[in-house]
Amino acid sequence: MAVFKGFPLNLLFASILLILLLCIQSGGGQKKKENMLAEKVEQMMEWSSRRSVIRMNGDKFRRFVKAPPRNYSVIVMFTALQPQRQCSVCRQANEEYQVLANSWRYSSAFSNKLFFTVVDYDEGADVFQQLNMNSAPTFMHFPAKGKPKRADTFDLQRIGFASEQLAKWIADRTDVQIRVFRPPNYSGTIALALLVSLVGGLLYLRRNNLEFIYNKTGWAMAALCVVFAMTSGQMWNHIRGPPYAHKNPQNGQVSYIHGSSQAQFVAESHIILLLNAAITMGMVLLNEAATSKGDVGKRRIICLVGLGLVVFFFSFLLSIFRSKYHGYPYSFLIK
Amino acid sequence: ASVSGFLSLLSFTILFLAWLAGFSSRLFAVIRFESIIHEFDPWFNYRSTHHLSTNGFYEFLNWFDERAWYPLGRIVGGTVYPGLMVTAGLIHYILNLLHVTVHIRDVCVFLAPVFSGLTAVSTFLLTRELWNQGAGLLAACFIAIVPGYISRSVAGSFDNEGIAIFALQFTYYLWVKSVKTGSVFWTIGCCLSYFYMVSAWGGYVFIINLIPLHVFVLLLMQRFSRRLYIAYSTFYIVGLVLSMQIPFVGFQPIRTSEHMAAAGVFALLQAYAFLQYLKDRLTRQEFQTLFFLGVSLAAGVVFLTLTKPSLPPLLRYAKIHIPIIASVSEHQPTTWVSFFFDLHILVCTFPAGLWFCIKNINDERVFVALYAISAVYFAGVMVRLMLTLTPVVCMLSAIAFSSVFEHYLGDDMKRENPIKQHPFYPVKNSSVYSKLIVTMLMLMLLMMFAVHCTWVTSNAYSSPSVVLASYNHDGSRNILDDFREAYYWLRQNTDEHARVMSWWDYGYQIAGMANRTTLVDNNTWNNSHIALVGKAMSSNESAAYEIMKSLDVDYVLIIFGGVIGYSGDDINKFLWMVRIAEGEHPKDIRESDYFTPQGEFRVDKAGSPTLLNCLMYKMSYYRFGEMQLDFRTPPGFDRTRNAEIGNKDIRLKHLEEAFTSEHWLVRIYRVKKQENRQALDHKLRNIAAKQKYTSKKVLPSRFH
Repeated sequence: MAVFKGFPLNLLFASILLILLLCIQSGGGQKKKENMLAEKVEQMMEWSSRRSVIRMNGDKFRRFVKAPPRNYSVIVMFTALQPQRQCSVCRQANEEYQVLANSWRYSSAFSNKLFFTVVDYDEGADVFQQLNMNSAPTFMHFPAKGKPKRADTFDLQRIGFASEQLAKWIADRTDVQIRVFRPPNYSGTIALALLVSLVGGLLYLRRNNLEFIYNKTGWAMAALCVVFAMTSGQMWNHIRGPPYAHKNPQNGQVSYIHGSSQAQFVAESHIILLLNAAITMGMVLLNEAATSKGDVGKRRIICLVGLGLVVFFFSFLLSIFRSKYHGYPYSFLIK
Repeated sequence: ASVSGFLSLLSFTILFLAWLAGFSSRLFAVIRFESIIHEFDPWFNYRSTHHLSTNGFYEFLNWFDERAWYPLGRIVGGTVYPGLMVTAGLIHYILNLLHVTVHIRDVCVFLAPVFSGLTAVSTFLLTRELWNQGAGLLAACFIAIVPGYISRSVAGSFDNEGIAIFALQFTYYLWVKSVKTGSVFWTIGCCLSYFYMVSAWGGYVFIINLIPLHVFVLLLMQRFSRRLYIAYSTFYIVGLVLSMQIPFVGFQPIRTSEHMAAAGVFALLQAYAFLQYLKDRLTRQEFQTLFFLGVSLAAGVVFLTLTKPSLPPLLRYAKIHIPIIASVSEHQPTTWVSFFFDLHILVCTFPAGLWFCIKNINDERVFVALYAISAVYFAGVMVRLMLTLTPVVCMLSAIAFSSVFEHYLGDDMKRENPIKQHPFYPVKNSSVYSKLIVTMLMLMLLMMFAVHCTWVTSNAYSSPSVVLASYNHDGSRNILDDFREAYYWLRQNTDEHARVMSWWDYGYQIAGMANRTTLVDNNTWNNSHIALVGKAMSSNESAAYEIMKSLDVDYVLIIFGGVIGYSGDDINKFLWMVRIAEGEHPKDIRESDYFTPQGEFRVDKAGSPTLLNCLMYKMSYYRFGEMQLDFRTPPGFDRTRNAEIGNKDIRLKHLEEAFTSEHWLVRIYRVKKQENRQALDHKLRNIAAKQKYTSKKVLPSRFH
């Protein structure tokens, strides 16, 4: 009887025990999870205190970025910075990324909610395969909760990789506002200071013989250099940054002249600079030939050379222009 | 005496012919089309000139235009450079006083060609001061026909630049004259001309920086003189006071940094003159030289930091942050092709002229060298500043050519004597031949220049863009007059106070031709207002309706080129609308939504659904899917983008089509007013009766 009586009691006890056990177990799991998270955050903080951009390999990436217990967002740059990869865009993107990460690292709003990391192809090729990624650089945002969506991949093609744009994208994805602070570029100032001190030093050394300042040829040359640089579109190159020349991937032919009148290559602008200079020189020589007091034969040769320079190079210039400006009807000597 | 009389008659004839040639080559548009105002900004200038000539000067200065920037309005008198309107109004007034009755429109159309002749004359005067009479005449001929200047001054292009280049050249002429003579008379003339320039164009800043730079460099070269002191001191004070009389300029000359260089140089000049005065009294030479060096260095540093060429970084900044600046194609750097296109042979020869000037330097040639270098820098940075480069290129090229011609064309008098002494000397013939060849080839180059100028003027710079022309295979011409057709429709068929929403490009034209109220126009001073219009255009119809309701829009006008293949239409500009809207409303509009996942902008079936359902798309392609243009293409084939449109079944809920022009170029939609009661989207609730109610009443017995 007692057995019969005792059984449900036993059962009750056992079930209570079981529930308790379960409770403890699950509580332990919770605690363990929290521990793990705290550990991860601590680790990340330690890394980012050392370097503003955390370098990751495959294992680290899986553990700290992909594995679920996270309460922080991670921005990852997938890139290929090794010199043998010859990715010049990656290097520029990396610079911008460093600027952004430093702005975040040293801002007053710095917290453990956002980390900047980088995965290099040569250190974590498996990550690239896993994410099915075949181009670098790529910026991705891994949100604190859930999987990355379409908009979590930064649209590099369209927006470019200026750190201001990246900051805007991050603010959009994570609500963390980063004010980009670019370290002031002292190289220009230093170069200017060097130049000034060099010129000053020269002037000081030659203070007894300052004739060369009054050398008109030097000044005229300098003025002409400015003029040639501008009229051949160097400013356009400076602002737009075109390639030096275009190599056709199919047949390997290199074209130095851009086909459209809206754009130009760097090589092309150099050619134009030389042509302009040659024509100008021709005009100057023509004038020299008439005014100098040399003997007649020499003067005649100078005159013919000058004329040849003007006429030949101008017709060459005109033919280049004609090849670029479609529908232009006129040419001279050269088609 | 007879020789000099003959020479001046010749110069006069050449100048007159240059004026005539310049005037006539600017008339292509008038002859091909009609006497009509071109493009966009000129329509505003025309409208305000019209206002000036009908209501008088003071009414014009106080004009508050409530038809622009609805609901804000615009204070026109305080936000324009009035020189252009006053000039045209004055000419109209004088002509009418003489009983030559011309319409104000014709005065406006022909103002720029007439002023190009004045520009030629003032360029002649300036170049004569710098070099000699022959170079001056060549320069006048060059500037009369050079495309870089024609681009802004064809008949019908009634814009500030048309008269400003004259004012610029004339101011420079008077400045050089006053530096040469040191007379207050010429300087006051220079100030008056500068005042005219300030009233005409914002480019006066170029003058107020170049002249101080000239003075500064002359000081550095130790070319200080009493003449310079008198000229600059007078110019700075009188010019400053005069320039502040223009309401739009106001107190800027003593506030903003671009005017500070002038003030700095003024102070420096006074200090320098004071030192010079002291130098006559004192003997401590070294101390003074040291002092001079210190002062000029400090001033140089100040000058450089103030006028530091900050344009490229500024542009880059603007491009990133303000899409509206990037969207204007004139704010772009210049390729060599544009230089060659606008200046042809002059661009390759003017450095030679610069070379000659620097080799034979004097006070005024320092000026032209500085003018050339600064103008070429600015032209390299921005395409539209090619205009300020053009005059100096003409002058320097003329110097180069004229010095070549001087030596090779005729003028054998000096060398004939030795040849006469040796009649059988063989050099004579060959030297004459080489001279002949040089002259012939140079003339040929100049002839090619003239031909090039005419071709460029005719092909590139003479389309009014209000009226379009297309050519058939047999060469006959079709005139597409859709713009005016649509604007006159608005004028005739809509309420006088109707408000028309369109993209800002068409604001001035709507105000000028249709005389209706616009929300935004080409005076893009209020970015957020433009962004609101951009947001309406790029949202879906119901969201756009909310915006349009809040802005009281009655009509929406769009430009659609898909039927005739016109590439400057609103769909091609659409991304700028999205970008500008995104700049102000980043939460609602996102540029990436308008691209396909591959990052392409497409209007066909593969296009992004946001694009295919936005207001601009719907209005552009409304009922276009029913239209088959020819048998080779499916219905709804867009010729501009070469694609079959992706959304052919477009229904409009809050808008209705009001007008579409002959070639569909302009489409106007009426915004429906709200009905008294908002119609419900869903069906009305239908309460099904649980049971049929039948009367239990017993029918009166009498029916039985």
